Formats: sequence, C-alpha cells, structure tokens
Amino acid sequence: MQDPRIRIAASAILSVTAFISVPGAAFAFLWWLVFTPGITLIQKNRLVLPLVLMTGFFSLVLELFGGNGLSYFIRMSVIILVGMWLYSEQRPGEFLDTGVWLFGDRAGFDLGLVAEMGMQSLSCIIADFERVLLAARVKGMRWGIHSLIPVGLILVHGALARAEESAELLAIRGYRSGGVWNPVFITKPWDGVAGLAAVCAGIFAVLPVSEFFILYR
Amino acid sequence: MIITLKDARITRDSWSLTAAGTFDQGIHLISGDVGSGKSTLALVMAGLFPVSGGCIVKEGISSCMLSLQFPELHITGRTIAEECASWGTRPEDILVTTGLTGREETSPFYLSRGELKRFHLACILAKDYDLLLLDEPFSSLDCEEKARLCSTLERRSRGITILFTHEQDILPRVVRVWEIYDGRLTDCGRPPDAFRHWHHLPVSVRKLIALGSVPDNISRQDLREAACRIQG
Repeated sequence: MQDPRIRIAASAILSVTAFISVPGAAFAFLWWLVFTPGITLIQKNRLVLPLVLMTGFFSLVLELFGGNGLSYFIRMSVIILVGMWLYSEQRPGEFLDTGVWLFGDRAGFDLGLVAEMGMQSLSCIIADFERVLLAARVKGMRWGIHSLIPVGLILVHGALARAEESAELLAIRGYRSGGVWNPVFITKPWDGVAGLAAVCAGIFAVLPVSEFFILYR
Repeated sequence: MIITLKDARITRDSWSLTAAGTFDQGIHLISGDVGSGKSTLALVMAGLFPVSGGCIVKEGISSCMLSLQFPELHITGRTIAEECASWGTRPEDILVTTGLTGREETSPFYLSRGELKRFHLACILAKDYDLLLLDEPFSSLDCEEKARLCSTLERRSRGITILFTHEQDILPRVVRVWEIYDGRLTDCGRPPDAFRHWHHLPVSVRKLIALGSVPDNISRQDLREAACRIQG
C-alpha cells in the first residue's frame, strides 16, 4: 500500500475492530490475509512470533485466573499482525507527510516529527538488540532470563542517549515548534479498495449481525 | 595461522560485497567509506553473519574475538568489576591500566564513551586471541589513547589482527592494507607498495609522497621518519 494516510487509517480502524470483539478480530485477520504479504511478513519480521508468544503467556495467566484469555489472545494477536504490517510498510518521512497533511505546519509537523523520531528509535533498538545478541555470543554467554536485565539496560540506555542527542541537535538548530514540509502522496487504486475494505470490516464488527439479516428478525 | 576468504559473497537486502584474499599473522588494515560494509565483513569473519556464496576457511585459529564499534553493546555486568570478570580478566589489572582504580563498583554505563571504549579494549587486549577483529577501535579515543592502542597492537607477538577503520591519522604499523571499494574487498598489498593502489590513502601519507618522500609504513614513527628525510 503506497498511501500512508490510508495505511495509517486502515491500521487504526482494524486495530479497534480487532480489539472490540472476536468476530471483529476475524474480520481484521481476513483483511490482513487479503491485503498484506501475510505469511511472508511473519517470516521477514523476527519480532512477530516472540510478541505473539508473550501475548499467549499473558492470555494463559488471564484464563487461569478466570478471565477470557482465549478471546484476549485472538484479539491481541491480530492487533500485533496489523501493527507489524504497518511497521514494515512505513518509509521515512511518511509520518511527517501525514501529520502535516492532517494538522498543518505547526501541530501536524510536531506530531509527525515525534512519530518519525519514535520510528527511528524503534529501528535503532532492534538493530542494537541484534548486535547485543552477537556480542553475547562473542563472549560465550548463553541467552536466558538472566540476560533480560543487562540487555534491557543497554537498550534503554542507548535509546535515552540517542534521544538526548536528538534533542540537543534540534535545540542547536533553533527548533522550537512547527516547520515547513510539503507532503507528497502516491495513491494507487488498490489502496482505496483496501481502505474501503477496512472501513467495512469496522462496520461489520460494530453493527449487530441481525442488522444485515432481516429475515432473522 | 591464516584466514582465507574464497570469493565470499555477503548480501543484505539490495547491498552486496564480495571478498577474496588470505590474512596471515600480523596487523591488517581494512579501510572503506562509511556504509561500505566494514562492520558486516567483521561479523562475517567472526562467523556471526552468514555468507551467501563462497566460503571462509580458518586454519590454525582456535580463538577469535570481535570488538564491535559501540562498546556499550558488549556490556553484561552490573559493575565494572563484574564486566571485567565477564571477559575472564582480573579487575585489578584492567582498572590500573585504564585509570579506573577505585571505581570497581561503578556501573559501566556511568563511564563516558571514551572511558568505556578504553576499558572495553583493555579487557579484550588482556587476552591473547588467535584472530582479533577490531571494528573501528579508534572511535571515541583521543590522540594519546589512539597512540597507546597502536603500541599495544604492535606488541602482540602472535595471531592475526584485523582493523576495520576509516581512521586516517594515527595508525599502527601494518603488514597489509586492504580496502572495500566498489562492493569488493581489494588487497592493496604491503606498505609502501600498497600506497599506489589505495583509494583511502591517509592525507598525511599522500602529502609526504607528493613531497617526494615515501614512508615505509603508516605508523606515526614511519611518517615522522619520512618527514625528516624531506628536511634533511
């Protein structure tokens, strides 16, 4: 999907749709199967399975303590899949494009900039994580629960250091608020179809099924 | 003790690098632009990143160590003393050489980037590895520390040391110069012959050659001697 506006809107709609109910999650998953690379996306992104497994763990705890863990697992897994699709399709500058297009050069620019910096930070954290694993292998250390705290410290420390550097750089350049940005979008016909399908999935999830089947009444 | 790259092909998305050549004992320098693939090649030679074609053959190498460019990625200890222990070194030895005596219980994250780099390199160089791969070892170090590192590396009596760097000013005496250029690892040869083919030839060496004095190697001492020949 080329147009980030439709992509972000579709992701937001589908996430809410999946969160509302299990049928909503089913609609969102169906959309995900049709309009995204699907399984290829999971194979390319090594974070999907760990995140789903982590959700599975919390769902199991919820189920054991009387909550509806299975429903939670299904809904959250679909949200993760949608999120991963959004992340994999995102290109640098698109949040700025969308922010400025939505809210203008001041608030929109600031929001877009924050989102861009967030995405950049996320990609740096992933790169750091991969390097930390390699460094541990070089030291002959085994990966396990005991590694969580040092690895977490490295990642948080790195993210904070980078955030400080970015803040200083922005301050040095005289940034206070807002900026000039000319958003450019490429919209393909298929983007419109996918966006419309996401809206339909949202409507189907919100409206009672009986609304569609008059004879049933 | 040698490591041979037999048309090793490294690919990452649309980027690729082909490497061929044999590295024997001594210090080797691999130069290249930022983003040319020096760090990835270091990972490949350490066996931490797969080749998509060709192969890498290591003969007589029983121990290998890779130092990543950013020393904080190596940290696994909560304190400096624990970090020393994680490298299999004695804290008292490392702390004295790095000027960190009395800070055993300090978190490594409280060290400045320069201090951490110095500490990290001291931990690595305290042991004698057959294959030592140093990715940008001079980054974050001041001139004095860079010179000290060069002396330490030159004192390594055995093993293969490979420096992946774009440092231009302070370098140790090397046995061979390599460079990554146009997606290929090229063997420029031994100094001073290497200076004829080396695209990333340090500016100081270039100037000396222009003045008619070719240094024997790329260390400060060699450059100083070459400069003296001009004056004298």
